[in-house]
Amino acid sequence: MKKLAKILVMILVMASLSACGSKTEDTGQNAAQGGGAEGNGEKVQLVVTWWGNQARNERTQAALDLYAEENPNVTFDGQFSEWADYWNKLAIASAGSSLPDVIQMDYAYLGQYVQNDLLVDLKPYIESGLLDLSNVSEEIVEVGTIDGGVYGISIGVNAPALMYNKTLLDEAGIEVKDNMTIDEFIALSKEVYGKTGYKTNIAYQKGNNFSEYLLRGNGVNFFEGEQLGSTDPADYKAYFDLYEMGIKEGWYVSPTIFTERNAGSVEQDPLVYGSSPDSRSWCGFFFSNQLTAMQTAADADGIEIGITSWPAKDVKAANYVKPSMFLSVGVNSKNPEEAVKVIDYWTNSVDANNILLGERGVPISTEVAEAILPQLSKTQQDVTKYINEVVMPNSSQINPPAPSKSAEVYQLLSQLEEQVCYGKMTAEEAANQFVEKANVLLQ
Amino acid sequence: MGNTIAAIRKKLYQDNIAGVVCSLPFIIGFLLFMIVPMLVSLYYSFCDYNILAPPVWVGIKNYVKIFTGDPTFYKTVLVTFYFAFASVPLRLIFALIVALLLVKSTKLTPMYRAVYYLPSIIGGSVAVAILWKRMFATDGVLNNVLGLFGLNRDFSWLGDTRTAIWVLIILAVWQFGSSMLIFLASLKQIPASLYEAADVDGASKWSQFWNITLPLLTPTIFFNLVMQTINGFLAFTQCYIITQGKPMDSTLFYTVYMYQQSFEFYNTGYAAALAWVMLLIIGLITWFLFATKRFWVYDGGL
Repeated sequence: MKKLAKILVMILVMASLSACGSKTEDTGQNAAQGGGAEGNGEKVQLVVTWWGNQARNERTQAALDLYAEENPNVTFDGQFSEWADYWNKLAIASAGSSLPDVIQMDYAYLGQYVQNDLLVDLKPYIESGLLDLSNVSEEIVEVGTIDGGVYGISIGVNAPALMYNKTLLDEAGIEVKDNMTIDEFIALSKEVYGKTGYKTNIAYQKGNNFSEYLLRGNGVNFFEGEQLGSTDPADYKAYFDLYEMGIKEGWYVSPTIFTERNAGSVEQDPLVYGSSPDSRSWCGFFFSNQLTAMQTAADADGIEIGITSWPAKDVKAANYVKPSMFLSVGVNSKNPEEAVKVIDYWTNSVDANNILLGERGVPISTEVAEAILPQLSKTQQDVTKYINEVVMPNSSQINPPAPSKSAEVYQLLSQLEEQVCYGKMTAEEAANQFVEKANVLLQ
Repeated sequence: MGNTIAAIRKKLYQDNIAGVVCSLPFIIGFLLFMIVPMLVSLYYSFCDYNILAPPVWVGIKNYVKIFTGDPTFYKTVLVTFYFAFASVPLRLIFALIVALLLVKSTKLTPMYRAVYYLPSIIGGSVAVAILWKRMFATDGVLNNVLGLFGLNRDFSWLGDTRTAIWVLIILAVWQFGSSMLIFLASLKQIPASLYEAADVDGASKWSQFWNITLPLLTPTIFFNLVMQTINGFLAFTQCYIITQGKPMDSTLFYTVYMYQQSFEFYNTGYAAALAWVMLLIIGLITWFLFATKRFWVYDGGL
C-alpha cells in the first residue's frame, strides 16, 4: 500500500506539475517553426535515456559529453537502465507527462507509444534539414514511419545471434556451423557437455524471442494480430521440449543458478559468469549488437566469443533482420529542436561515432559507417560480417510488433518453462496450458 | 490598522489556531500525499488503465477478476501470509531475547544497543539485499561455511522452493532493532520493587520472567505485533531485489505481484484493485488482533 501510494503520489505530482506547463509548450507538429530561441545560447538541459550494458553506458555518456563540449549551452542528463526497468520507468514518465527529450525506442514498443501520441513526429525536422538523413537509406526511415509520420530513427540493425565460448570449443576441437537445425544444436550441446562439462542455456526466462523464432521456422507466427498465431499446442510444444530433454539428459544448466543472478544482466549471464563448468553455459541466445558487451564481459576470463545464427527447423524462414535502437523525441520535451539536433549529431558526426563505434549496430549514415570502419574492433567487424554474410542472404521479413498484452503472455511462457525445468510439468502439459491460458489473457 | 493587527495577533494566540498552524505541514502533506493519491487509486481500481492511455471506467470488473479469475492472487496471498506469520513472531522473540540481555547496564551497553540496532537501519537497503543474495548463492558464504564442517555445500538455497522464502524470512528477522528498542524501553518501566518482592519470596529467575516480566510486557508485545504484522504484509524490497518471486512464484509477495501487474504488464487499474483488497486484508487482520486483545493483554494500571 505504502509503496503504491508513493508511486501514485509521484505520478500525481508529476501530472499536476506538467499539466500547468504543457499548455504553453509546443508539440512536435509546430515546433519545427517555433522554439528557435532555445537554440541561441540559452541554457538547455536534455534528458537522454537508453537501456543497455556497461560498455554502452560508457560510450554513450562519452559521446554526449563531447556534444556538450562543442555546444556549451547544452547539458545532458543521461539515464540508463536495464531492459525491464527501462520500460517501467518510461511508462511512469509518460503517465506523469515527463517523457525524456531523447528516448531510445524499441521496435516492439514504437507502435504503442505512437498510438498514444507520446512521440514527436520527426518529419518536419527532416524536411527542414535539421535532421540530415541524406546519407541514410530510405528503408531505414521507412521502419520508423507510422501513418505517414516518422517517429523513430533506427540507428542500427540487429539480428538474433547465438553466442558461444569459442575458446572452449576450439580447445575441445568442436566446430560450430552457421544455420544449424534444432537436431544439430541438441547434438552439439551433448557433445560439448560430454567433452568439457559445460552445460547449455537456451533462453531461460527470456524465451519470447527464441520461441517466436522456433515458430517462424515452422511457418507459424507467435501472434496474429491480438491473438495467438496458432491454437494448436503442438506448435508451442517444440520450445518446451528442448528444456525437458535438456534437463532429463543433463546437458541443460540447472534452473537454480538463475535465482542467484540478476535477470537480464549481460555480465551475469552463464556464458561469461559462474564459478564451475556445470553452472556455466557454452552458449547464449542474444542479439547481434550484444556481442560487444558479451566480449567485454568475457575478456576478464580471456575468452573469445563466437557468433552464429539461432537454430531452427528452417533457419531461412526463422531468421530476420531487426531494425533496432530507434531514437525518438518524447512529446514532453521542452526543446524538441535541441533533441533533434542530438539525433542528427548521433547520425552524422564521425567524431561521435568514433566513440560509439557501432555498439548499437552499424551506423546508418553510409558516410559515417565508411569513416569509422578502420576504427572498428574485431568484435564489431564480426558482427557486421555476421549480419551481412550469414543473416542477410538467409532470412525472412520480421514479424509485426507484438500486441500490447504480450508482456503477460511472455511471463506465462517463462512460468511454464520454469515448471518444466523444475520437473513439475511435462512439455506437453506446459504447451496445453500455455495455449489455454494465453487465450484467456488475450481476450 | 493597529486594531486589526492586534485582532489577528489575538486570533493567532488562541490555542487551537496555533495548534492547527503548527500542524499544517503535516495536514497538507497528509491530504495531498496520502488521501488524494488513495482516492485516485480507488478510482483507477474501477478502470481499465494501462498508464500509456487514459483510464476507462469498467465498474467492478477488476475485483471480480481478482476473486474468480486469478489463481496467482491466491498464491501470492498464501506466500505473504506464510512470510508474515513466520517472520513476525520470530522477529519479536529474537528482539525480546536481545532486549532482555541488553537491559542490564554495563559500560558497553550503549554500544551494543547501537550495534544491534544497525541491521534495522541498513537491512531494508538494496545493497544489503544484494549482499544477502550473494551470501545464500551456491558458491556463497553460507555454503562455504557449511563446507568447512564437511556438510553438503552444493545446495541452492535460493533455487529451491522450500528454502527460498526462508532466505527472506531470515533477512526480516535480522532487522529486529526497532522492536528491540521498544521492548527495552518497556522493560525499564517495570518497577524494581516487584522483582525485589519476588526475590524475598524465593521465586526463581524463570518464574519471575513468566509471572512479572511477560505479563507486564503484553501491551508492548501487542503494539509490536500489530505494527510488525502490517510491515510484514507490506514487505517489498527483499522479494523484489533478491528473488523476484522465483522459483515458481514460491516467494512472490503480494506487493511485488501488484508491482508486476502495474509496471510490467501495464494493468495499472487491476493493480490498484489489488491494493485495495490488500488494505481490506490488513484491516481485517488488525481488527482480529484487537479483538483478541482482551484475552491476553494485561491492561491493569500500575
